[in-house]
Amino acid sequence: MGYSGRSARKVVELQLMAVTEVFRALGDPCRLEMIQRLASGDPYTINAISKGLEITRQGARKRLQILADADLITLESKGRDTSVRLNRDALEQGKAFIAELEQRWDNRLEALRQFVDGD
Amino acid sequence: MQDVITRSITVKASKERVFKALTDPKEIVVWFPESVEGGTLEVGQEPIFSFNGGTHKRRVHIEAVNPYDYFAYRWIPNASGEGVGDVLGIPNTLVEFSIEEIGGSTTITMKESGFASLPIEDAETSFKGHIGGWDIQVDRLEKLLNSN
Repeated sequence: MGYSGRSARKVVELQLMAVTEVFRALGDPCRLEMIQRLASGDPYTINAISKGLEITRQGARKRLQILADADLITLESKGRDTSVRLNRDALEQGKAFIAELEQRWDNRLEALRQFVDGD
Repeated sequence: MQDVITRSITVKASKERVFKALTDPKEIVVWFPESVEGGTLEVGQEPIFSFNGGTHKRRVHIEAVNPYDYFAYRWIPNASGEGVGDVLGIPNTLVEFSIEEIGGSTTITMKESGFASLPIEDAETSFKGHIGGWDIQVDRLEKLLNSN
């Protein structure tokens, strides 16, 4: 059943790399703002998604490409314009990673402090 | 003086799984004390629950172990003191875990009672402290049981 030890490790490594890409791509206020706009689920044009962000069209493209490389969004050419959509799967991977961390978090010392001190 | 703290959670696990998490020495150390020393988790036993690498120890008196629906022990909430004295010889609290499986889910109710019987200087501090302590511990139990 499943993977051998070696390929299972390989899978974990690949997942970790993907998650690293997701967090790296999110690690910029401008790109994060774009993701927030896309979170409604509606597709945006490049103009609409960069509105008010004080970046050039070229700057917007560059940022969107980073998000696309991390699989956070998909870019689809529509005539002369490009349609930008959120890809929820990549965000889910990031979320799952944080959730797992949270699960391992050992807060027993904090519980003990409360049991003992009452504050 | 308030006497009872209760916490209730519902998890996606069988009552057998829940009972094991509460009463198997290898399982309880995953979510509650870091180690169980000097005794087993069987009725009448008085093992020591050790916390924080052993800086804090609490002797418990195992009151009841009824597969797969009830586990209870007594211990001594103490704002002061060592916590490893004669559990039944001095005022203590009773910690009970009741387990009820309905459909595919299991409800665990933790109830700690006896705070009103504690020395007056300890009662209120212990009551407040145990509310916060159980919040964290029961949450840890919930996460453990929902993760496998």
